[in-house]
Amino acid sequence: MTDTTTGLTGTGGSDPSVPAVELVGITKRFGGIVACDQVDLTLHRGRIHGILGENGAGKSTLMKVLIGLVLPDVGSVRIDGWPRTIHDPLAAASLGIAMVHQHFSLVDQLSVWENVALGEEGRLKSAGVRDRVVAISQQYGLEIDPDARVGELTAGLRQRVEIIKCLRRDPHILVFDEPTSVLTPEESEQLFGTLREVVAAEGRAVVLVSHKLDEVLHATDEITIMRQGRVVDHRPTHEADARSLARAMVGREVSLRSERAAFGLAEVEEADGESQESDVGSLADIDEATDVDAEDRRPAETTKPDEPVMRIEGASVRGRGGARLLDDISLDLRAGEIVGVAGVEGNGQRTLGDLLSSLVPLDAGRVVVNHEAVPTGSPGAMAKAGVAVIPEDRHDSGVVLDMTVAENLLMVDPHRVARNGVMDKARTAETAQQMIEEFDIGCSGPDAPLWSLSGGNQQRVVLARELAAEPEVLVAAQPTRGLDVGAIEYMTDRLRQTAIDGVAVLLISSELEEILELADRIVVMSRGRIVGELSHAEANLETLGMLMGGSSG
Amino acid sequence: MLIDFFSAVGDVLSSESTYINGALFAALLAYAATGEWVAERSGTLNISVEGMLLSGAFAGILGYHISDLIVVGLVFGVIGGLLIAAVQAEMSHRLTADQFVVGLTLNILVFGLVGFLDREIEPQALRASTVEIPILVDIPLLGKALFGEPWPFYLLYALVPLSWWLVYRTRWGLELRAAGENPQSADVSGIDVNRRRRQSIYYAGFTSGLGGAYFLFARIAAFDDSVIGGQGFIAIAAVIFGGWTLWGTMAGCVLFAGALSFQLSLQGLGYELNTELLQALPYLVTLGAMAIFAKRVRPPAALARPFIRGLK
Amino acid sequence: MTRGARLTEWVALYALSVAVALALASVIVEATGGDWWPVVEALVDGSIMAPGRWGGTLGIAAPLLLVALGTVISSKAGLINIGQEGQLLIGAAVAVYFSFRIGGPGPLNVVVLLLFGALGGAAWASISGLLRYWRGVPEVLSTLLLVFVALQAVGYGLKWQWLLLADEASRGNRNLVSEQLAKDNRIPRPDIFGNEFPITVYVAVALALAVAYVLARTVWGFRLRMLGHNPRAAQRAGVSSTVYGASALAIGGAFAGLAGAAMFAGGGFSFGNYRLVPGFSDNIGWTGLLVALLARERALPAVVAAFVFAGLRNGAGFVNSTGVQSRITDVVQGLLVLALLVPPAVVFLRDRRRARAAATERV
Repeated sequence: MTDTTTGLTGTGGSDPSVPAVELVGITKRFGGIVACDQVDLTLHRGRIHGILGENGAGKSTLMKVLIGLVLPDVGSVRIDGWPRTIHDPLAAASLGIAMVHQHFSLVDQLSVWENVALGEEGRLKSAGVRDRVVAISQQYGLEIDPDARVGELTAGLRQRVEIIKCLRRDPHILVFDEPTSVLTPEESEQLFGTLREVVAAEGRAVVLVSHKLDEVLHATDEITIMRQGRVVDHRPTHEADARSLARAMVGREVSLRSERAAFGLAEVEEADGESQESDVGSLADIDEATDVDAEDRRPAETTKPDEPVMRIEGASVRGRGGARLLDDISLDLRAGEIVGVAGVEGNGQRTLGDLLSSLVPLDAGRVVVNHEAVPTGSPGAMAKAGVAVIPEDRHDSGVVLDMTVAENLLMVDPHRVARNGVMDKARTAETAQQMIEEFDIGCSGPDAPLWSLSGGNQQRVVLARELAAEPEVLVAAQPTRGLDVGAIEYMTDRLRQTAIDGVAVLLISSELEEILELADRIVVMSRGRIVGELSHAEANLETLGMLMGGSSG
Repeated sequence: MLIDFFSAVGDVLSSESTYINGALFAALLAYAATGEWVAERSGTLNISVEGMLLSGAFAGILGYHISDLIVVGLVFGVIGGLLIAAVQAEMSHRLTADQFVVGLTLNILVFGLVGFLDREIEPQALRASTVEIPILVDIPLLGKALFGEPWPFYLLYALVPLSWWLVYRTRWGLELRAAGENPQSADVSGIDVNRRRRQSIYYAGFTSGLGGAYFLFARIAAFDDSVIGGQGFIAIAAVIFGGWTLWGTMAGCVLFAGALSFQLSLQGLGYELNTELLQALPYLVTLGAMAIFAKRVRPPAALARPFIRGLK
Repeated sequence: MTRGARLTEWVALYALSVAVALALASVIVEATGGDWWPVVEALVDGSIMAPGRWGGTLGIAAPLLLVALGTVISSKAGLINIGQEGQLLIGAAVAVYFSFRIGGPGPLNVVVLLLFGALGGAAWASISGLLRYWRGVPEVLSTLLLVFVALQAVGYGLKWQWLLLADEASRGNRNLVSEQLAKDNRIPRPDIFGNEFPITVYVAVALALAVAYVLARTVWGFRLRMLGHNPRAAQRAGVSSTVYGASALAIGGAFAGLAGAAMFAGGGFSFGNYRLVPGFSDNIGWTGLLVALLARERALPAVVAAFVFAGLRNGAGFVNSTGVQSRITDVVQGLLVLALLVPPAVVFLRDRRRARAAATERV
């Protein structure tokens, strides 16, 4: 953590004591809501600055101000001590600010070098770009073939392309937005190694936006914590610990397991050697989440019915060009148990979710629900067989944004409010209203368009609809992604309750802590295969991490 | 009877005029299809190409009418094409109006307008003079068709490679391909997607306007509103037939123009072939090619899908 | 913004852009030595004011509306069908073919004819459906290309007596015409206040109401809309994109084919005078598509749009008498369509900008 690093190749030799970026008093309102409220942020060269906060804390808006996607209402931006106005991303780029996007900015049909060249200016020289790609990839250990088609790369490699694309512009200021969600622990480790190199050797300023405490603690030099649009704390990383950071982030003591899971704290807490029971006891008043105490419930061990509700037998799916998306997967689910599917994103989890949503047919194998084989890829077949799904990306297959809340609630089974094929208006409204109340969905009424709801409430719409079908199996894919703390608690609690009610729950998640927290039994996926199975007792972050990285094969 | 027919086919295939006619139509198609190809690579199914051709043809003869110069006619043709392109581009990719509404309307509008103006003004023109390229023109059968054409024909020899180079070798081309494949990503990368799309439509207007004027000076030197007669749509078919590659597109142009010329020549010899089948051939062949190769050859992923920032 | 202010804004925007379009048209007329005002009068007279004219306008509006309704249905399923012109023509041709072969008493033959028209259009559109769902060919391309195949196919049929061509005796001195439909096999055109129009007008309006109802209220319509908005969510919920999508295309084609048959059997002098002739479809398919798109793919606004387009077309007949060529109406129509596109686009862009600002906060 040296403040005055030398060898500023990226900064053109400006005075290192002047902060690379100063954001002063940034305020941004959207309608009545204040996304950023007088936020100050100072970035120094040669340092990695972590910005920590829940979803909706204002991190994204702040970064958008920095890269020119949002103009602040109030506040000033200084770059290298000079006041600047950043109107658009191109202006940001010309000031040496670059962002590695959470949602990839790559074009699948183009090659790696073409993607890297995309968005630059000046003449296009393919040989020059290729050479630079190779040079950068060697310099930072981000090996990649410049002529490979991006669409054929894995998620981890695609992120490399993003980073190379960013570094090629030789930015002084690099912003990473939740970079590790698509990486194995090993790849994350390598990424942070690269970051450290970029920072220390070349004096660039790096921002790491994250909601994972351990990652921020591990990789940064200083930390800014945001909550509800304000900066609530700022300190050097060596003075920070997980507990205080979590407290600052949420605004109260964080002790429930689910919350810790959401912040990636499970390991950290255990390492601290603190007892968990004491925390749970002291926080029983927070909300109903505590009604179902995680520690009391291990149904797989207490009530283990022998007959599986759902069997997946030798399931294989091939993608375009013969890639094995699912490779001979077999899995049993029993009533009342929660089975976790762990793994780095992009290792077949999405295909597994799609399979159980009737979106993909099997090339080999079968899916059996209650002793009957369910046709795969056939519209609605899984839903009919009693398989409910909370999809990984609710906008992809979970909801229809342009339809009303009521219509979304009745999507799977409109016949229950219909007579002779005509939907009864009164019954539609009534049924929807009941579900809205039961699941406490925040909306202006059954006729509100779905896009007007917050992410958490959209997720509740999905949950309400899927549970209303009284399923045998509930598949929950990344069910807490993008939700804030309250919504995460609600969701994990509901999942537990669903299992207690006798439904077999398949929890597909890349958040290991979430899986460790909820699952009775854990399988690990890597490259479309199941590479290991662990009981709750056997599993910990380390064993899972090793399996996920493919160290078994 | 059948033997007579085959000998007639032989006559047609060995007659220079079949190839000369073929080259004439192929050039018209190639002018239009080149621009259309660029537009489609950026994500626009530009059905106003028919209107651009017609507008170019009429503006071309108007230019000649005023100046007695073919060069001026060609410049006017380009302007005529660009005018239509301007409306298409600005309405569909600035104002976000539906590209098909704009395209269809423009086709009807241009058809009505040039018909109207033609009868009001009654412009006249002359055929462009033929320029023969020595030695090459003496190649049997094909020589005259490829190297003994009215001079505007030769612009094509520069235009097609230039278009290829623009799309595959320049930053502009890279950006417009990105806009046609994944506009969201292109946008995040700092590319003004709709600007690139507008520019690609202007490019289509440029080549089609030029093509329309060329056709007029190369062939009939008189205008009537059926002079283009659906060749713009055949150009669209050629782009699709070519699987959105430039060389495939050119192959489509040659094939379709060849079929047309073949049929006309046979008719000239008094043989009545199934004209309708031959006229429908470009479309049938294209549909067949798509049906066979659709799983392997894909259109630009965002073809005919408007891009509005913030709207997925 | 208050409701009133918003309404004022809309009216002002529309008034402005229509005024600009008309001004442009008038400049064209005046510049070529014509007079603008008589053209306007002729258009109004020819479409509604003069005796018997609004009946003719309604007669043209009916097929436009039918085509538009089919387009509304296929677009609700998220499909871009731009091949109505061909579907209409094939529908008319199939209707003609079977009408003369099956014969039968008048009213029955009308029903048979309309039925086969719809079937013909549906079959033609189903080629695109087949290509789309079996081979993955985008329907926007196949429907477009099939228009030109249809034109040639019907042209071919009109050359052969065993297909569509009339026998020599009834051909007169014309080539390439079908038999004329017998008087008692035609769709009735009752006379109302001196205006006569086919009863298909009522059918078309009734169908518009039916389409609006089916889409909004039935389970089928609900699932079709679901498919159009989010095909993956629909598939998961049990909506087969193949079944629903192909049906929507076929129904769209059926409406176009029905329009073609109705034009043949009840269109009178506006459309071939009860004969199938080359160019019979006469851009009704294309214009019907425009009607649907301008009505933003909604059934009831399509009724109004169809009437406006029909009025322009019918009014064109009176323009020639002013000394200005009637083709100016194509220009007026084109400019008007373009003008009508501007206000919604302007408002949309502004609202989108606001919505984006509001949406960013939810990130």
